[in-house]
Amino acid sequence: MAAQHQPQHAAQRPIQQDWANREYVEVITCSIKKISDFLNSFDMSCRSRLATLNEKLTELERRVEYIEARITKGETLS
Amino acid sequence: MAAGEKITLTDALQNVDVLDELPLPDRQPCIEALNKSIHYQANFDTNFEDRNAYVFGVAKYIEQATIHADMNKLLEEGKEYAVMLFTWRCCSRALPQVKSNDQPNRTQIYQKIVEVLEPQVSKLVRFMHFQNRAISRFSEEVKRLCHKEKRNDFVSEAYLLTLGKFMNMFAELDELKNMKSSVRNDYAAYRRAAQFLRVLSDPVALQESQTLSINMATQNKIRDTLKEAMLQIPGYEELLADIVCLCLSMYETRMYLEPEEKYMLVKVMAFGLNLMDSTTSNIYKMDAKKRINISKIDKILKTLEIVPLYGDMQIAPYHYIKCSPNFDGSKWPLCERNEPSPQSNLLANLEAIREDHMEYISQLSRHSNEAITTMRDQPRSDIENKELFDLALKGLQLLSAWTQQVMELYSWKLLNPTDPHQNPDCPKDAEEYERATRYNYSSDEKFALIEVIAMIKGLQLLMARMESVFMDAIRRHIYQELQDFVQLFLRDPLRKAIKKKSDVIKGIIMAVRDTCVDWLRGVEPHDDPALRGKKDPDDGFFIKVPRRNVGPSSTQLYMVRTMLESLTAEKSGGKKTLRKDIDFSHLQTIDNFHKTSFFWNYLINFNETLFNCCDLSQLWYREFYLELTMGKRIQFPIEMSMPWVLTDHILETKEPSMMEYILYPLDLYNDSAHYALTKFCQQFLYDEVEAEVNLCFDQFVYKLSDQVFAYYKHLSGSIMLDKRFRSECASHGAKINYPTANRYQTLLKQRHVSILGRSIDLNRLIGQRINAALQKALDVAIARFEAGDITGIVELEGLLECNRLTHKLLSEYLTLNDYDAMLREANHNVSAPYGRITLHVFWELNYDFLPNYCYNAATNRFVKHDKLTFVTDAKREKAPNPSPHYIWGTKTLTTAYSTIYSLYTRFVGTPHFHSIVRLLGYQGIAVVIEELLKTIEGFLKGTTLEYVKMLMKVLPPTCKLLRFDYGSPGVLAYYNANLVDLIQYPDLRMEVFQSFREIGNAILFTVLLEQAMTQEEVCDLKHAAPFQNIIPKPHIPIKEGDNRKDKEAELKLFMKQLEKKYAALQVVSVIKKLGNQTQADIAAEGDLLTRERLCCGLSMFEIVLTRMKSFLTDALWHGEPPTNGVINIDKCTEFHRLWSAIQFVFCMPMRENEYTIEELFGEGLNWAGCSIIMLLGQQRRFEALDFCYHILKVNRVDMKDENVKGIQLKKMVDRIRKFQILNNQIFSVLNKYMKTTDAESMPVEHVRCFPPPIHQSLATTI
Repeated sequence: MAAQHQPQHAAQRPIQQDWANREYVEVITCSIKKISDFLNSFDMSCRSRLATLNEKLTELERRVEYIEARITKGETLS
Repeated sequence: MAAGEKITLTDALQNVDVLDELPLPDRQPCIEALNKSIHYQANFDTNFEDRNAYVFGVAKYIEQATIHADMNKLLEEGKEYAVMLFTWRCCSRALPQVKSNDQPNRTQIYQKIVEVLEPQVSKLVRFMHFQNRAISRFSEEVKRLCHKEKRNDFVSEAYLLTLGKFMNMFAELDELKNMKSSVRNDYAAYRRAAQFLRVLSDPVALQESQTLSINMATQNKIRDTLKEAMLQIPGYEELLADIVCLCLSMYETRMYLEPEEKYMLVKVMAFGLNLMDSTTSNIYKMDAKKRINISKIDKILKTLEIVPLYGDMQIAPYHYIKCSPNFDGSKWPLCERNEPSPQSNLLANLEAIREDHMEYISQLSRHSNEAITTMRDQPRSDIENKELFDLALKGLQLLSAWTQQVMELYSWKLLNPTDPHQNPDCPKDAEEYERATRYNYSSDEKFALIEVIAMIKGLQLLMARMESVFMDAIRRHIYQELQDFVQLFLRDPLRKAIKKKSDVIKGIIMAVRDTCVDWLRGVEPHDDPALRGKKDPDDGFFIKVPRRNVGPSSTQLYMVRTMLESLTAEKSGGKKTLRKDIDFSHLQTIDNFHKTSFFWNYLINFNETLFNCCDLSQLWYREFYLELTMGKRIQFPIEMSMPWVLTDHILETKEPSMMEYILYPLDLYNDSAHYALTKFCQQFLYDEVEAEVNLCFDQFVYKLSDQVFAYYKHLSGSIMLDKRFRSECASHGAKINYPTANRYQTLLKQRHVSILGRSIDLNRLIGQRINAALQKALDVAIARFEAGDITGIVELEGLLECNRLTHKLLSEYLTLNDYDAMLREANHNVSAPYGRITLHVFWELNYDFLPNYCYNAATNRFVKHDKLTFVTDAKREKAPNPSPHYIWGTKTLTTAYSTIYSLYTRFVGTPHFHSIVRLLGYQGIAVVIEELLKTIEGFLKGTTLEYVKMLMKVLPPTCKLLRFDYGSPGVLAYYNANLVDLIQYPDLRMEVFQSFREIGNAILFTVLLEQAMTQEEVCDLKHAAPFQNIIPKPHIPIKEGDNRKDKEAELKLFMKQLEKKYAALQVVSVIKKLGNQTQADIAAEGDLLTRERLCCGLSMFEIVLTRMKSFLTDALWHGEPPTNGVINIDKCTEFHRLWSAIQFVFCMPMRENEYTIEELFGEGLNWAGCSIIMLLGQQRRFEALDFCYHILKVNRVDMKDENVKGIQLKKMVDRIRKFQILNNQIFSVLNKYMKTTDAESMPVEHVRCFPPPIHQSLATTI
């Protein structure tokens, strides 16, 4: 990404170089931003799905509890 | 990927790009504010650290950049001190006080005080030094700029603005210092202790302490010191006038973006005028000379009467003007006016805000849809970039404007608290803060605030989601604008400057160019004619300007803008301005560039600006008001807290259009907590926010779930209500409303609500509570039943049905427990074989139904005798009295349903039996019947048996069937005389009849229950039929001449077709085909069970009768065996004889004012008698030998009517006839049920055939 030709002012080179460097930094920043965005939506999506899973498990748990209560004590039925 | 393996940048970037393609579904409607687990914010602001790199820039501005950098550091430091002052909580109040001088531990106390307060006091010392440093630095700058030689020099806008920021900082710190009495108190406590301990012994420290205490104690110390310093500088007011004018013009041209900046401009104007006005200079004279424009400022100070100063501290900027020495009220006509400032009226702007919001959102969604759905092959064009850039800027401006609206209203309200006079809801002893917040907003204002906050938070989220797209466009657009400007546009002015040989302009333009130019491939175009002042060749001089995705650095931008400004400035170092040497059109373009580039810095830092524009954190902070309570309050309750006031307002009003906004006011806590952690850096503030959130959120979930439950209960209650009843009510003027549709669904779908970094599954929380509420509702329904008699069963069924519907409606959004499981739990029927309903049914049967109800076959109902009860009312538990939504939904609905169900309360009949069957189920019915049998057994082996024993004793040993010759009156008189002991038996009419009635009622109950059950079963079977391949045969008429066989074949064919058609409905075959073996087996068994339920003709009543029969073991029932070996004719030892006697008693006509036996006991009595007779096998004997029947028979022949010992024969006979018919009916019913057993138990062989009896006389002759 470096300047390919020698500019007229030698002193102008750093500024020219700086543009290129900063663009490179922006590319990296941009990518980090994308990664963080991805992680955030991944987080949200996971939370949503985990919540659903949790709910299903809780439901099953409650059902098992209920059935357990139904059958264990049911034996005393005269 | 193995560690240490290297990947190329391109690969890495590609990997990042691929992330976009991963599907990340999140199925919840977005109704909450932006909350990120990771917040990424890149900050490239170097604070001019890189200034030396721009060697081509004008040296003066590089120098100035150095000054800027230093001043910015001071400003930062000032902010820290402001935080320190604002968040200062009084320590000394908590410290133990030394009460008397000879207290022994006072040295210790003082030592501790010094130890505790030392670090705090050292902060204050540092603060005092900072004040001096900042003031002297400011004065130095002012002095330098006001130097005679430099008076006319160009001073850049940025420079003036930084000075303005300094003034703002002084104003803030001064007010904070004035306000915080706790700081002074703490210092005073420290000083007392320190003096006692002689800690401050050395003169320097003593001196410092002295100065500090003066500094602390003097009000307006900073402002006064500053003013003193200013007065030392000749001509300082000119510079300040420049600053004020700059602020004014920036305010007017909206050259600000963040709300803070706007308020700063206003504060600086007022504070600046205050500083300028002194003994030596007069602002009104300056106004007269048009140096400043007071009328414009007057207008601004009125529109923004009150601005936020810091946190919850507000300031009226006009106050600065008022306390300036040459104050002249007549110059401030608007500010002097008494009417409220427009900032207090949010409602007037609401419509416009809505429109802006609508318009912007639609523009934004167009772009966001495009960004989401399409993949780009090449970067956006310059025009597209500009469009997005403008869109981003407009969005930020809108957000900022709305935030300003909210903050301005809030500020105004804080400084204009309400009172009981203005707001009748406000109690007289309301606290200051309450009057400023809780009672200070009308309902409309609260809704408006919520709506605007929702718009801010909603749009913030949308814009943040678009950030990557925006940033890309912003950087490209800025780059393009800047490079086009320096590479293309500047060539013209440059050419002109070279031509005219104005070296200054050429120098500046070249400096601008060299500071930021980015030539294509780094090579300046060769031999540019413009650089020689020559015209471009005719075919044009073509320069290709490159495109990059990067903006200028902050310093670079500052340099370019400042240098361009110096070109166009009115003031310059020389005698004339440079403006005159530049073409007008060029000037305009440069000006334009300067103006638009003002916002570049904000947009390059898009993320930061976005957050600053939406920051509403200060709605929670109340340090100032806490300070005002002088320690009476440690913290205010949530009812006074703005976020909760707004949240609660939605919850209380249940406004459907606001319901979806409810999470936005709660998000204010996120803002505040974020501010506490990142800006105030105070753990205790965060803790307080957190504590409040914990409290509020619990309240929120509690109130919300209660509301949701009430709403759905109301809905299902309304759905179930009879439509005709409803319209009938409406025609009588009683309206029964449906609930207003509300948008709870969206809220119920929330599975991850972020509050203070925690993710909360709202759906689950509400689900839990609603589960509990539903459980309670079921419990209430059963408890209500338990509090009443058996007729309540119909209402119970309705109520349970209503709950089932509620459950169904809610299950669409929430995971609730299985309804049947819940019902069982409420019914205490999970592990016990019978539930509360069954128990209560049985209890009621035993204690109310059997003893008190009278059956009547004509209506097929049991009714209770109005006046006479044999058993005093059973004691029942008191009915619960919960809020209406646990019953039918609302008060009106509860009244309506009570009216409907009151129709079922006066009798027990078919509907009740059906309800009992449905609610109790087989198991419950079995229990009830079993218990009923026990009751019957109790009677037949206990009470009744005893009575029978007693009555048998009073029965004459023999009682004949008199010959017809006696005539019916004679027969009646005979029986009456023979049975006199029995007739007069004291307990007969009450206790004995009562015991038989109870047995009879029990028998009737089983009969009717079985009838209801059979109907229900048939219903079930009919419902099941289509799935069991039971298809009704279609009717194919057979006409004369038709071949029967043909017709039958036709029918068979038709049936086959039908079977084929409905094959998909047949459960067993379908499951066999699609399911596994176990499933198929289960289905087949289920099918069998359903099919055969009725086939074997099981009858419950039959069993009951058989069981009853087994109770009749006592010999008493059967009597002595006949001496003649065949039959007892006259002997009264068998039960049927007793029953005949009893029948005789109840067939006797009643006297006036006496209740008949039917009225008192109903037909249960007859049922009991007949059943026992039938079970004892005495039916025929009874029918043949009954006393009453005999009277009837005789009377039929002679048709006499006489009064025999007070008994009217005719009436008696009528009654006998009636009872005979009844008895026959009862016997036929009983026989129908008992027939099968009769056939089995009495096989033909057992019949003994007796020869017809032969008269004695004949026998002997034979």
